[in-house]
Amino acid sequence: MELEPGSFRDRTGRIFYSGESVFRGLTDRALPEWQALRSTRFFPRLVQEGKIVPTEQTEQVESELPGDWAAVLRHERIPFISYPYEWCFGMLKQAALLQLELIETALFEDFSLKDATPYNVQWRGCRPVFIDVLSFYRLRPGEPWIGYRQFCELFLNPLLLEAYKGVPFQPWLRGSLEGIPPRDLLALLGARDLLRRGVLTHVWLHARSQVGYDEAAQSRDVKRELAAAGFRKELIRANVQGLARLIRGLSLPERKSAWAGYGEDPGYAGADREEKERFVREAVAHQRWGLAWDLGANTGVYSRIAAEGSDYVVALEGDPRAVERLFAEGTSKVLPLVCNLADPSPGRGWRGRERKDLPDRGLPDLVLCLALIHHLVIGANLRLSEVLDWLAGLGRFLVIEFVAREDPRVQGLLRHRDDPYEDYELPVFEAELAARFEIVQRQELPSGRRILYFAVSRGRGRGRGR
Amino acid sequence: MFEQQVWVWFAYLDPSAGSMMLQIILGGVAGLAIALKLFWARILLALGIGRRKDEEAADPETRGGA
Repeated sequence: MELEPGSFRDRTGRIFYSGESVFRGLTDRALPEWQALRSTRFFPRLVQEGKIVPTEQTEQVESELPGDWAAVLRHERIPFISYPYEWCFGMLKQAALLQLELIETALFEDFSLKDATPYNVQWRGCRPVFIDVLSFYRLRPGEPWIGYRQFCELFLNPLLLEAYKGVPFQPWLRGSLEGIPPRDLLALLGARDLLRRGVLTHVWLHARSQVGYDEAAQSRDVKRELAAAGFRKELIRANVQGLARLIRGLSLPERKSAWAGYGEDPGYAGADREEKERFVREAVAHQRWGLAWDLGANTGVYSRIAAEGSDYVVALEGDPRAVERLFAEGTSKVLPLVCNLADPSPGRGWRGRERKDLPDRGLPDLVLCLALIHHLVIGANLRLSEVLDWLAGLGRFLVIEFVAREDPRVQGLLRHRDDPYEDYELPVFEAELAARFEIVQRQELPSGRRILYFAVSRGRGRGRGR
Repeated sequence: MFEQQVWVWFAYLDPSAGSMMLQIILGGVAGLAIALKLFWARILLALGIGRRKDEEAADPETRGGA
């Protein structure tokens, strides 16, 4: 049994892993809420619709779980855990709408959710699924929506920042696990933005009321005052419905993306593309794969090919717009994530372990690294040898493409750089690759400027783990 | 039926007093009646009808505010 270090915030339960199984220990305070939740009409329905992770109470492992638990739940395992700072705009938007749908549905049976964080939403491909069943509790009469502040900070404000100001939210959420407070967002908005939907109430008034009340609340019980004044769940419902309308209407502002059209580059010869697809398809067909990573996935052409022979594919791409496009296609086996591979997600939060770095969440069996190495070695100034060390430590099997210096894309990267990048030469690349991998197959594409390799790590690939 | 302990049981998050008060305004028509009830004394006072009570300094409804 292995404790999930990030499951500490809510003291009424904890997550444990055992092999491929996920367990949740419940305290005696949480047990009655779970029992009540289980007997609602909405819970089994939402599980069946794939919106909440399948969950059952189990007695098998109770004694194996460290700690004293009143009950143990077993959850279906999510293929790959991801965090909102790795999602594109559309993903955060879908997750927000799921969160709102859950609370609105729960309210009909006098339930609510005690938090409203995107870290409670995970993905099965492009479908969001809510994983924290302990978040549901029986709403007390007169109680407001506890999670409203958190909803604004972690869902609404990041979406508004991107929709209204064109600023990608990912670095902000990676910077702060608590999200963007109304006051901070307000400081970034102009006077004209106050007229845009949702800003006056959820941002301006929200920031003002927090300044006005939060200090005074040290000496008064606002919850009790609200209950005494007749606060009821219809107010929560009206707010939730208003938020859903607002969020449904948000969209990404137009911006030209460097990569979202890369696959259609006319400089990328048609014959090259066909041959490359054939090569990748053959490599993928070599065996059945569990988890595959497509590094620098662009619009996901090769992620989809990898999905033909894998249980699950994580498509990592630095450009949020390209991820957006891949997400919009809605495949069930490909999880598209925004990730700059020269600066991938680190461990975050308490002791750096609350949110894990990428390899800690499961290493791939197969790695695709196509048309990427020039971006890492020249674009991001990484040493070729270190990039190959990194790849050798990821998965055992690798499909990698070397793009020669004569290629217009590489020329573009080199144009304004004086460094000779002596390690970025085919003979150096092949020697370094051969030092770490056994090359199963090598093919030069018709243009002569791109060479593909299917390689097996010389025993140092770590394979799948958590 | 829930009384005393109710409010501290499951809210491990600080909901923020300001965020809770704002929910009256975001609650649509149903919120209007509650807003009137909560702020009635202050509204009367503003109209010059209300009476300023001695203990007002300790009355939370008349301090702070959005």
